[in-house]
Amino acid sequence: MTPMRAMVIDDSRAMRMILKRIVTKLNFEAVEAGDGKEAMDLLADMTEVPELALIDWNMPNMNGLEFVTKVRADPRLREMTLVMVTTESEQSQIVRALAAGAHEYVIKPFTEGAMIEKLALLGLVPTGANS
Amino acid sequence: MSVEVEVDESDLAEMVEQVWESYLDPEGVSPLIPTYDENQPSEVHSSVSITGSWSGHVVYASSRVAAQRAAAAFLAMELEEVSEEDMSDTLGELANIVGGNVKAMLPPGAQLSLPQVVLAPEASARFPNTERISGVYGMWEGEPVSISMWQSSTDNKEEGA
Repeated sequence: MTPMRAMVIDDSRAMRMILKRIVTKLNFEAVEAGDGKEAMDLLADMTEVPELALIDWNMPNMNGLEFVTKVRADPRLREMTLVMVTTESEQSQIVRALAAGAHEYVIKPFTEGAMIEKLALLGLVPTGANS
Repeated sequence: MSVEVEVDESDLAEMVEQVWESYLDPEGVSPLIPTYDENQPSEVHSSVSITGSWSGHVVYASSRVAAQRAAAAFLAMELEEVSEEDMSDTLGELANIVGGNVKAMLPPGAQLSLPQVVLAPEASARFPNTERISGVYGMWEGEPVSISMWQSSTDNKEEGA
């Protein structure tokens, strides 16, 4: 069975590592990008679109909200599940992200358990994965 | 224009606790032990600036060893493997996380900058026309760590960083 793939988009390598550890534990194959533009470039070259993207908000070049908007405007990427993972925790920001097309919103700092719960709610935790 | 902000030590301490629980001490064995010493030394620091409804800076400062430990925890590597780049990246993310949570407690309309990291003591930082309004100071496994908030004067138009 082909493993699901997750794209981890954050300008902090440290945060990418934390997210990568979590999704790898859940049997995803992880792909990293340092900002929204790099993520869009990687997606353009992929024949198979990742099932999941974990997206920081504040990034140089292209921020997370712009990335979500671009993904939602591209029919090829329509099936991707988009989760914002950010320190932007104001209600208005959450509403903006969800209105733009994000499926879920995780506020930093988060525990591994909290992230896994969110992904489980989205039906993205493979059967048998142990949190 | 800056408004009076009510983010106090207990709010900062709660944020710090969440950061420790999430990333630096998930096992709950090495908490930040408060020292209440706002003059404790540091060797490296990172900051984010907040502008809009409130203007100021959130600063994370620590010893190099504490910064290396933080990077090792974030990146799941041994202390000896941590590079300066790893340390900078982690320090930046720590300031970003605390700053983002501070911003959430401010009146709407505040913006958060990208983090700045300086591998030099916090004392070398220059935040013109600011005053420290809050801070958490402690020791993490015997190494100094602090998180502080600096508010810009209400009539200050120039943001220092």
